[in-house]
Amino acid sequence: MFCEKAMELVRELRRAPEGQLPAFNEDGLRQVLEEMKALYEQNQADVNEAKSAGRGDLIPTIKFRHCSLLRNRRCTVAYLYDRLLRIRALRWEYGSVLPNALGFHMSAEEMEWFNHYKKSLATYMRSLGGDEGLDITQDVKPPKSLYIEVRCLKDYGEFEVDDGTSVLLKKNSQHFLPRWKCEQLIRQGVLEHVLS
Amino acid sequence: MFVSDFRREFYELVQSQRVLLFVASDVDALCACKILQALFQCDHVQYTLIPVSGWQELETAYLEHKEQFSYFILINCGANVDLLDILQPDEDSIFFVCDTHRPVNVVNVYNDNQVPRPWGLPLYVPSLNQSEIVEQTMKRRQRREWEARRRDILFDYEQYEYYGTSSAMVIFDLAWMMSKDLNDMLWWAIVGLTDQWVHDKITQMKYVTDIGILQRHVSRHNHRNEAKENMLSVDCTRISFEYDLRLALYQHWSLHESLCNTSYTAARFKLWSVHGQKRLQEFLADMGLPLKQVKQKFQSMDVSLKENLREMIEESANKFGMKDMRVQTFSIHFGFKHKFLASDVVFATMSLMESPERDGSGTDHFIQALDSLSRSNLDKLYLGLELAKKQLQATQQTIASCLCTNLVISQGPFLYCSLMEGTPDVVLFSKPASLSLLSRHLLKSFVCSTKNRRCKLLPLVMAAPLSVEQGTVTMVGIPPETDSSDRKNFFGRAFEKAAESTSSRTLHNHFDLSVIELKAEDRSKFLDALVSLLS
Repeated sequence: MFCEKAMELVRELRRAPEGQLPAFNEDGLRQVLEEMKALYEQNQADVNEAKSAGRGDLIPTIKFRHCSLLRNRRCTVAYLYDRLLRIRALRWEYGSVLPNALGFHMSAEEMEWFNHYKKSLATYMRSLGGDEGLDITQDVKPPKSLYIEVRCLKDYGEFEVDDGTSVLLKKNSQHFLPRWKCEQLIRQGVLEHVLS
Repeated sequence: MFVSDFRREFYELVQSQRVLLFVASDVDALCACKILQALFQCDHVQYTLIPVSGWQELETAYLEHKEQFSYFILINCGANVDLLDILQPDEDSIFFVCDTHRPVNVVNVYNDNQVPRPWGLPLYVPSLNQSEIVEQTMKRRQRREWEARRRDILFDYEQYEYYGTSSAMVIFDLAWMMSKDLNDMLWWAIVGLTDQWVHDKITQMKYVTDIGILQRHVSRHNHRNEAKENMLSVDCTRISFEYDLRLALYQHWSLHESLCNTSYTAARFKLWSVHGQKRLQEFLADMGLPLKQVKQKFQSMDVSLKENLREMIEESANKFGMKDMRVQTFSIHFGFKHKFLASDVVFATMSLMESPERDGSGTDHFIQALDSLSRSNLDKLYLGLELAKKQLQATQQTIASCLCTNLVISQGPFLYCSLMEGTPDVVLFSKPASLSLLSRHLLKSFVCSTKNRRCKLLPLVMAAPLSVEQGTVTMVGIPPETDSSDRKNFFGRAFEKAAESTSSRTLHNHFDLSVIELKAEDRSKFLDALVSLLS
C-alpha cells in the first residue's frame, strides 16, 4: 500500500523516547521520495492521457495518487520538523558541544541547522544583560540556593573554582560548591546533587 | 594550642575561606560532621569532605589536597599523635582538631602557629619548658636528671588512653553559641553522645552529666507539645527524654530477640548455657508475659501488655539481679510510624558503616552511613537496623561459642581470645568498632561466667582474622571490667612497645591506638613480649 514507508518514519520517531534523537533514516527517506516520484510520474502520464484522450475514468485514480502524494509529503515534513525540535532541545540540554555519538545521528543538513541555531542563540544571549551578555541556558528553573552540596561519583581530577584555586574531585568526596559551576558536571554524571 | 573562644578563633576564621574536612569513621564523628555541614551550608562556607579511616589514609588525602586548601578541620582524628610530624605541613596551613581521643599529644598543644584545637576542657598537662631555654643555664648532670624526669612525666601522661566529650556535642555547643542550633542538630549531638555510651568510652558519671546538659537543650527546643493550643503538626521532628529500657533495638524487633541479644541481659542471665535459657523463661513468666506474645514483633504485641512494660521489666529485673535495666536516653518521633531511640540509630549507623559487603570501598559505606542520619533517608536507616540485628545476633552467637569451647584463656596479666578463620560470621568482626564491641561484650559475659576471682579483674586482648591473602589479624585491647572503672586503656602504648621489642610487623593505623593489625606469623612472639611487658 502507498504511504507505508512514510508512516514507518513517523512511527520510528514516535517510538523514540522524549529527548532522544535516533539516527537519521536516510534510507527510509530516500524510499519515500522515490515512491513520491513514481506516483507523480504516473499521475503526470495519466493527466496527459486524460486531457488528450478524454479518459474521464482515470480521474479517481489521479485523485487517489494525489492524496497519497500529499500524505507522503505531510509525513516526511513532520519527520524532519520533529527531528529539528529534538536537536534544538539538545542545545539546551548539553550546551554548545555535543557528544560525538549524537553527532553521528544527524545528517549534514541538520548539523548545519544546529550550527546556525547555536549562532542565533549566542547572538541573542550576548545582546542581553549589558556588556557581558547573559547565559540563559543556566538555571532554567529558579534555583533554591547559591551553593549546593554535591558528591563525586567518579574520579575526575582537578576542577577550577571561581577564585582561581582548584578542587580535587575524587570518588565519594563531598563538596559544597557554587551552583553554577556544578551544573555542567552534574549533567555529565560526574557529580551528584545531595539532597538532605 | 587550645582554642577557648570557638566562635572568634575558629568559626569566624574559616567563614570566609574554603576548608577541607577530614572525618574519622565512627558514629560520633559522623554526627559532628553533619552538624558542621549544616552550619557551613547555612553560612555558605565552601568545603570539601574527605572520609578517612586511619593515619595512612589521612596522610595520602592530605598530600593530594594540600595545594588547594590552607584550612583543615579534623574530626575525631589527630589529637593523640604528633600531627605535624606525620603530615609535614607547609608554614601557612592551619589545622583545627576536634577529637575525643585523649591524652592530647603535647606537641599539638604547644605548637602556637598551626594546631589550634576547639574545646575548652581544661586538661592537666605537666609544665614543660622548651629545652632550648633550659640548655644554656643547666649543668650536664642536672640536665640529664631533668630529661629523665620529663620522660617519666610524659610516659605517665601518655600511658593511658581515654576519651573526652563527644565531638558532636562540642560542635553543637558552637552552633548554640551562634544561635544557629536546630532540633536536627540537637538530635545528632544526642546520637554522638549515645555512641560513646554504647561503646563504653565514657564513664557512667560523665554520661549522666552530659545527658543533663542535653536535656536542657531538648526542653528548650521541644516544649511546644505541652501547650494544647500551640501543638506542632505530627510530621514535625520531636525529641523527648525517655527513661527507657536498655534492650537493644527492642521496639523494632521482638522482645525475646532483644533480651537474648543485648549484652547486658545475655551476660547476666548467662544465656549461653541451658540453665541461663531457663532463667530467661522464669523471668518472662514472672512478669506474666506469654511466650507467644514476646516472640512476635514488638509493634504487634498486645497493647495491654505494652502498657506498663518498662516498670514491669524493671521490677522483675531487680529480682534477678539486674539493677540498671533502665537508662536515661532520648527518642525522636516524626509522623505516626517513625520512632527511634538514640541507641537504635547508633547501632544502625554503625552497622551501615562497617558492613562487610565488598561491593563498595570503605568510603561508600561511610557515605551510606552519613546519608542514613538525614531524615529524608529513612529507608537507609531501616536497612541499617536490619544489618544491626544480624550483627548483634552474630556477636552473641560468637560469644556463646567462645565461652562454651573455653576459647578465652588467661595468659597471666591478661586474658586472650582468638577467633579462628572458619568461624561463622567472622568477616563481620574484621573492622575495629565491631571487634571492639564484640570484645567488650565477651569480657562482660566472661566475667559473669567465671568463678575465678582473679580472672574477673583482668583485661582482654582479642584477635580476629583480617585478610586471608595477606595473613593479617586485627588485635584489640580492652581494659578490665570493674564497677568503678574509669575506662582508661593502656594497650596503646603496650602494643607499641611490644611490637618494637620483637620487631613484629604491625600496622598502627587506626586512630584508636589500642587497635592494631599484625601479621599472623608474628602473633606468638608479640604475645610473649606483651606478657613479659605487663607482668
